[in-house]
Amino acid sequence: MLEIVFLIPLVAGAMAFLLPSAGRILLVLTGVVHLAYSLFIWIAEPTPHFPDFFALTPEGCLSLLVISLLFFLISIYTSTYLKAASIQRENIFTGSMLLFLATMTMVTLSDHIIIMWIAIEATTLASAPLIYTHRDAAALEATWKYVLICSVGIAMALLGSVLVTVAMDAGHVQAPISFSALTSVADKLDPRWLKAGFVFILVGYGTKMGLAPMHTWLPDAHSEAPSPASALLSGVLLNCAYLGIFKTNKIMHAAGLSGFSGPILIVFGLASILAAATFILKQTEYKRMLAYSSIENMGIIALGTGIGGMAAYGAIICLIHHSLIKSSLFLTSGNILMGFGSRLIEKTGDLAARMPRTFVAFFGGFAAIAGFPPFGIFIGEVLIVIAAFRTGHLISGGIFIFTLCVIFAGLANNIMRISFNPSGATERIDEHANLVWPQYVLLTTSVVLCFWMPESLQQTIVHAVNAIGGGL
Amino acid sequence: MIHPVDTILSLVLLSILFSFGSSRLSPLIKMLAFQGIVVCVVPLFVGQVMSGGNIAFTLVTLAIRGIIIPGWIYLAIRKVAIQRAVEPIVGFHASIFCGLLLIVGATLAGNYFETAYREVSDLLLPTAIALLGGGMFLLMARRNAIAMVLGYMMMENGIYLAGTTFSLRARHIVEFGILLDILAGVMIMAVILQNMKQTFDDVDTARLRTLKE
Repeated sequence: MLEIVFLIPLVAGAMAFLLPSAGRILLVLTGVVHLAYSLFIWIAEPTPHFPDFFALTPEGCLSLLVISLLFFLISIYTSTYLKAASIQRENIFTGSMLLFLATMTMVTLSDHIIIMWIAIEATTLASAPLIYTHRDAAALEATWKYVLICSVGIAMALLGSVLVTVAMDAGHVQAPISFSALTSVADKLDPRWLKAGFVFILVGYGTKMGLAPMHTWLPDAHSEAPSPASALLSGVLLNCAYLGIFKTNKIMHAAGLSGFSGPILIVFGLASILAAATFILKQTEYKRMLAYSSIENMGIIALGTGIGGMAAYGAIICLIHHSLIKSSLFLTSGNILMGFGSRLIEKTGDLAARMPRTFVAFFGGFAAIAGFPPFGIFIGEVLIVIAAFRTGHLISGGIFIFTLCVIFAGLANNIMRISFNPSGATERIDEHANLVWPQYVLLTTSVVLCFWMPESLQQTIVHAVNAIGGGL
Repeated sequence: MIHPVDTILSLVLLSILFSFGSSRLSPLIKMLAFQGIVVCVVPLFVGQVMSGGNIAFTLVTLAIRGIIIPGWIYLAIRKVAIQRAVEPIVGFHASIFCGLLLIVGATLAGNYFETAYREVSDLLLPTAIALLGGGMFLLMARRNAIAMVLGYMMMENGIYLAGTTFSLRARHIVEFGILLDILAGVMIMAVILQNMKQTFDDVDTARLRTLKE
């Protein structure tokens, strides 16, 4: 039964709320079981118990595997992190982490258009307590913005979903309201209502994905949440929101309306990259800087999806590698925060000497996210640039390259300051092995995937991308 | 002859105007409860079969939208015990004028679209659009966090009404899922409101401005 994979963390989450002392063990244990079951799903492809609501799609399967691997590593980091960081009411934190995993897993398997909405809204509710963990004024503000902006955004997506059903009525289509059924009858749907539905869904899920100009909650939430939660928010949650847009875009493509959806995605993508470039340059906090880098990467993914063809393939490559690298960077930022006690860049320095093992993960993560070869982001971005110029998107391609350079300069400047600027002290800061090796594994996975990708993974990406007219 | 549904919906339109002009929160909550009850009952009269299952489902949604959610917000207000009114961004008289423009605009826009239930009710889509726009307006024009939560609820009511046609297609379990999500969302917002009051001794969102570029 496919649904077990989200029922496991759901039950574990409820238990973690009730059994405060078992939270850390439950976190790691669920991570292991979830990863094992996700691998089983990948190999055996079990059928869903509720086929009207859930289905195993290539893009969902891919996201599920990434989520599972990430959560497993983050849970190991978190179990040690919780010993070092002072977190009040730990059971709420661990319980919310597990419920968050359950809701995100549900998103990856949702096939019914409204179940997808319910699951994405549930991710907001499950993650809100994570952002409020520190219980101070800034955390409160971040949580308020997050809940309100995302709820309003998601309400737009609900309206979009309703409009898609109106498109069915107008086209006299009798089919289940699932993404797979709608994709197969897409040519019969009323194009006017479908277009309107797509716009609302893009704005709605785009809010959650962090696309500009609806991104304002993202830097606050990512910087105020404890680092393991930031890693989950950035590495996994944004992918889940993208999945909603991806699946709707699949319907648009099948309906022959990719000429409508593509340019809109390109505009939102470029706006996000530009917004990120503007704010990264003057950033004074390293966690906010990483958050803006996430907005940039989500923009790149939207841009690639909008251009289509080879760029869509590049977008999926960026999606996978961004999850691996950015969650590693956020975990590393947790070490820096514990070591230096401040989120401000100017209060840090000399990371290479004072926290050498953290420095390796941080600098490696920077090289990867900035698009250095051999990391996957480089391959994804090159594919998007080539496709942009091949398909005549010269201005978009030009803006993309220019903003990438600006963002690289902004990131490099801050990372160098954190790594090598004198910090006023020279003594080594203690680094626990469990707070470093999960990041090493994430970065290594990213490198390995560039040189060797299992055939089944390659085929899954190709299948997912083919549905939106992409491919190498 | 005017359909009874249109009569009730015209009252909903009036309630939007009333909520725009209300400086106190408790009448606003009452208006919201009224809107919640109407949007739950309307599907029964436009196309849905009046079976036992449908009536039971309507009663449950009515209890959540019309009683539990407004009641929860009402309790939250009593807990945070607002001492002074928060100045809105757009004044109350100007808000009423905006409300009138909104209703006119929604009626024009609603008439432009052909929907499945046009022959039953002329006001279904205009009311849905007006509720949606009204909710957005409250979100933008008020600084009081409670009024903003109420604006979000008004928006959700509008979407629910717009989805009346969809309610015939989807299984009740799906609609129930949406309701539970919204219920949980409002509860989390209420918890944040209480913490906001504890931290700032106020629910004025203008105080939330430490985090910005």
